[in-house]
Amino acid sequence: MMELFRRLQYLLNRRRFEQELDEEIRDHLERKAADGVQPDQARRQFGNVTLLKEDSRSAWTWVWLEQLSQDIRYALRTMKVNRLFTLTAVVSLALGIGANGAIYSFMDAILMRSLPVERPEDLAVLTWRARGNAPVVHSHWGESYDAPGGGVVSPNFPYPALRVLWENNQSFSALFGYVEAGHLNMVVDNQAAIVNSECVTGGYFGGLGVPAAAGRLIGPDDDRAEAPIVAMLTFDYWRSRFGGDPAVIGKAATVNNIPVTIVGVAAPEFYGVQPQMKADLFIPMAHQPTVRLQPDGREMFENGNYYWIQLMGRLKPGVTLAAAQAQLGGPLHAYIASTATKDRERAALPELWLTPGGSGMDSLRRQYSKPLWILMGMVGLILLIACANVANLQSARAAARRREIAVRLGLGAGRFRVIRQLLTESVLLALAAGIAGIGVAAAGIRLLLTLLATAEDGFSVNVAIDWRVLGFTFLIAVAAGVGFGLAPALQTTRIDITPSLKQTRSSDPRSSGVRWGFLRFGLSHVLVAGQIALSLLLVVSAGLFVRTVSNLHSVNLGFNAENVLLFNIDASRAGYKGAALASFYSLVESRLRSAPGAIAATSSDMPLVGGWTSRTSITVPGIPQPPEGQRGPNTSFTRVGASFFETMQVPIVAGRGFDERDAGGGSNTAVVNQVFAETYFPGRSAVGQHFSMGSGPNKLDLEIVGVSKSARYSSLKQQIPPVTYLPWRQVAPPRRIGELYFEVRTHGDPLALANTVRQIVREASPLVPVQGVTTQKARIDDTIRQERMFATLSACFGGLALVMASVGLYGAMAYNTARRTNEIGIRMALGANRGRIVRMVLSEVAALCVAGAAVGFAGVYQGTRLLKSMLFGMQPTDPGALAVSAGVLVACAFIAGFLPARRASRIDPMTALRSE
Amino acid sequence: MEATTRPEIPPGTLYMLILKTLARVGAMHGYGVAQHIQQTSDDVLQVEEGSLYPALQRMLVKGWVAAEWKQSENNRRARYYRLTPQGRKQLARELEQYRQVSGAITRVIEAV
Repeated sequence: MMELFRRLQYLLNRRRFEQELDEEIRDHLERKAADGVQPDQARRQFGNVTLLKEDSRSAWTWVWLEQLSQDIRYALRTMKVNRLFTLTAVVSLALGIGANGAIYSFMDAILMRSLPVERPEDLAVLTWRARGNAPVVHSHWGESYDAPGGGVVSPNFPYPALRVLWENNQSFSALFGYVEAGHLNMVVDNQAAIVNSECVTGGYFGGLGVPAAAGRLIGPDDDRAEAPIVAMLTFDYWRSRFGGDPAVIGKAATVNNIPVTIVGVAAPEFYGVQPQMKADLFIPMAHQPTVRLQPDGREMFENGNYYWIQLMGRLKPGVTLAAAQAQLGGPLHAYIASTATKDRERAALPELWLTPGGSGMDSLRRQYSKPLWILMGMVGLILLIACANVANLQSARAAARRREIAVRLGLGAGRFRVIRQLLTESVLLALAAGIAGIGVAAAGIRLLLTLLATAEDGFSVNVAIDWRVLGFTFLIAVAAGVGFGLAPALQTTRIDITPSLKQTRSSDPRSSGVRWGFLRFGLSHVLVAGQIALSLLLVVSAGLFVRTVSNLHSVNLGFNAENVLLFNIDASRAGYKGAALASFYSLVESRLRSAPGAIAATSSDMPLVGGWTSRTSITVPGIPQPPEGQRGPNTSFTRVGASFFETMQVPIVAGRGFDERDAGGGSNTAVVNQVFAETYFPGRSAVGQHFSMGSGPNKLDLEIVGVSKSARYSSLKQQIPPVTYLPWRQVAPPRRIGELYFEVRTHGDPLALANTVRQIVREASPLVPVQGVTTQKARIDDTIRQERMFATLSACFGGLALVMASVGLYGAMAYNTARRTNEIGIRMALGANRGRIVRMVLSEVAALCVAGAAVGFAGVYQGTRLLKSMLFGMQPTDPGALAVSAGVLVACAFIAGFLPARRASRIDPMTALRSE
Repeated sequence: MEATTRPEIPPGTLYMLILKTLARVGAMHGYGVAQHIQQTSDDVLQVEEGSLYPALQRMLVKGWVAAEWKQSENNRRARYYRLTPQGRKQLARELEQYRQVSGAITRVIEAV
C-alpha cells in the first residue's frame, strides 16, 4: 500500500527525481576522481549511464505502463506526421467495418433474434404442405409459398383444426392461435388513432410465456363470444400513446366503434410473434369478426374449408419437432380428410409440417434473407478491399521505415520492443477505425431502415447496434490492425542491420518478388490486383441492379401513372353500411371530380400495381373444367368506380367502359382485359359474352360489356394475368366494399391537391380519416422498393469499392515510382521523353488491371448467378452491364495511376541522380 | 583490458550487502556504500555502479531504506541512505536465508 503511494509520488515529481539522480551520479564520479581514478576510466567503469538511469527509473514505475504510454505518444506523433496515410487507412477500415456492422445488425434483427418469450427454442410453428394447390382449401386468408421440394406451404389452418389438434395432443404443453387483424380505429378519451392489431386465442400469452407489464393478460375466459370484449396493449404503444399511465388499465375504449376494455399491457419488447409486424393491440380471437366489422364472420370458426388461423405450439420437455409432427400428423390428416367432399380434393390434402418457432413467423426471413445474405457478401468484400488497402499501406510504410528501424535496432532497442511499437500503431489505427466504424454503422442502420420502411405496411424491425455487434465490430478492427501490423513488423525487424543502414532511399528495399518480363510483382501488386478483382465484382453487381431498376421503370404500364393522386378511406369503420356506404363513396368521388385542379377522378378497391392481387376461379361456357388438382380458368379482378378507364387512361379496344348504366341494380356487367378475351374467347369477340365468377352461393354472373387494353395489374415484374374490372356499385354482399382507394388525375403536381382532398373528405364526414396520401407513381415505386434499395446500396458499395481500390492503386503506384526515381532519372538522362515515362508507369497499371479483371470476371461469372432471381429483364452476364462496369473500373484505375505517372515524368534527371 | 576478472557479487546478495553495510555504518551515500563493501571484502567484491544505483532505487520503492540529502565531510551535497525498521527486518530475513543456503552449499562441496 505504502509502495503504491511512493510510486505515485514519484510520478508527480519526475523531474526532481531525474535531477537528483544526475547529481548523485556526478557526485559519485567526482569522489572517484578524488580517490585517484582517471575520470574517463571512472566513467568507463561506470558503464552505460543512460541504461543505469533507465533501470533506476524503471524501479519506480510500472514498466509496461511507461512503455505503453511512450509507444502511444510515439504512434500518435507518427500518425500526425503521416496524416494522409492515417486518414486513408482509418477511413477505409471505418467504412468497411461500419458497413459490416450495419448489415450485421440487420441480419441479427431479422434472421437471428428470437422472440422475447420463455424458452423460444421449444416453440414450433405449425404449417402444412400439399402437392399441387390443395383444392380442399376453398378459401384462404393468409399466405402460401412454393415448397422447396415442390407443392405449396402455408401457415394458415381452418379454426376447427385447433380443437382437433388439442384433443389429440400428446406433444405440446400449449397450443395457441393468432391472426393479424390489420389496422383498427381505436378511440380512447375521444382521441382516435389507427392501431396495428393481432387477434389471439386464450392460450396465447400463457403458451408463449409472455408476462404482463401492467394489468392482466388475455386468458381463456376472454376468448369466448359471450365474454365482454377486452384488449391488451404492447408496452411500446402504452408508453408512446399513454406515457405508461397505469390509469389506462380498466379504461373503456372503442375499436372500430365497438366498446372494449383495456385490461393489460404485455411485457416490454414483445410486439407479437411476427417480427415484421409491430402490433399495438391484442384482441381475443373470439371477438375478431366483431371488431373487424364482419357480423357474418362467426361462420369462420365453423368452416373447415376456410384456412386462416395461424398456430404455434410449445413442445413438452424431451419431445422433438419430428416426434410432434409424427404424433399430430395423423389426427390432422383425418380431420382434413373429413372436410374433403370430392376425389379431386382428397388427392392433394394438406399435411402437417412443423418448423422451429423461436424467431417468430418466417415470412420476413423468406422475403429478406437472401437479399441480406447478398448484402452481407457485398460488405464482406468491401471489408476485404479495406483490409487490402491497410495491408498495402502498412507494408509500403514499413518498407519506407526500414532505415529508421535499423537505426533503432542498431542503437540497442530490443526486437520485441520495436515490434510492440509497430503493433501499438496498428492497434491504435484499428481502434480509431473501429470507433469511426460504429458511427458509420449507426448512420448505415438509419439509412437502411429508411430504405426498407414500406409506407403502407408499417414495416418495423427493432434494429439497434447491440453490444454483441459492437464487440464483433471491434474484433474485426483489432484483428485487422494486428494482422496487418504484425506481418510487416516481423519482416522489417528481421532485417540485417548493416545493409539497411547503408541503403539509400531510392534503392530497392524489397528483396523478394518475382520477375516477370520487366515488371516486378510483389505483395503490393497482388493486393492491388485483388482489389481490382473484388471491385469489379461489386461494380458489376451495382450495374446489374441499377439496370434492373431502370428496366422496371421502363415497363409499359398500359395506363398513365403520371399526375395521379392516390389515397384511401374506410367509411365502414366510421359506421357506414350498405347503401349509405356506397352513396358516401359516390359523393366523395363526384366531389373529387369537380375539385379545382382535378381533371378526372375515380376509385378502386385496391391501388393499381400495388402488389396486391384478388383472384377467383371462373366458369366460362365452352371452356372445360381442368383435370383433377390443376388450376382451372380464373381471373384477377378489381372493383372500380365510375369513369375508371377514362381517369387512368386505359384504352377500351372493344365495347364500352363503365357509365351510369352500371350504377347498380339490373344485370352485372364487367370489362375484361385483352389477355382475358384472348385466353377465354379466342378468335371471337368477347363483348356480349357471359361468364361467372366464384362458386357456390357467392357465384356471380357477369356480362362482358367491353374489352380494355391490357394494363399492369399487381406487379411490374409479373406477366399481365386475365383481369376483370367490376363496378363496385353493383356488387352485392358478401363481396362488400370496405376500404376504397381514390385516384385523382391532376393538371400539375398531384400532391398539391392533398389538402383539397382532405377538405373534401372532411366535409363529407369528419369521422372518416384520409389515409396513405401519395401519388400513383410513388405507389408503384413502393412495389419495387427492394430492387431500388438494392440498386442504391449496391451503387454505394460499388462506388466505395472503386474509391478504395483507386486509393490502393494510387498508393502502390506512387510508392513504386518514388522507389524508382533513380531509374527514371537515368532513363530520362538517356533520352526517354515524358510520354514514354508516363506510358511506362501506365503499362504497369494496365498489367494490374488485366490481372485483376481476369480474376474479377471469373468471380463475376460465378458470383452473379446468385443474383439471377433478383434481376429483371436481363441476364446476370448482361454484356452491357459488364462492359460499362469494366470501363468505369479501368477509367478509375487510370486516373489513380496517372497522377503518380505524371509526377514521375516531371522528375528532373539531375535531381533524381543526385537524390542518392 | 584487464587480465584477470574479478569475482562477481553472487546474484541476489547485493541487497543483503547494502543493507548490512548501512546497518553497520549508519547513514551513507552510494559511493561510500560501494567503497565499504570493496574494502571490507579486501577488494574481492566490487559493486558496479550500474547495479548499485538501480538497486538503491528499488530498495527505496520497497521502503527498506530512506534517503536524505546532507552536507558531506568536504562540504559537498550527497544523498545519504539509511536503514528503516522495515529494512532491518528484511536484512534479518536475507541473512537467515543466506546462512541456510551457504551452509547447505558448504555441506555439499565438502562432503567426501
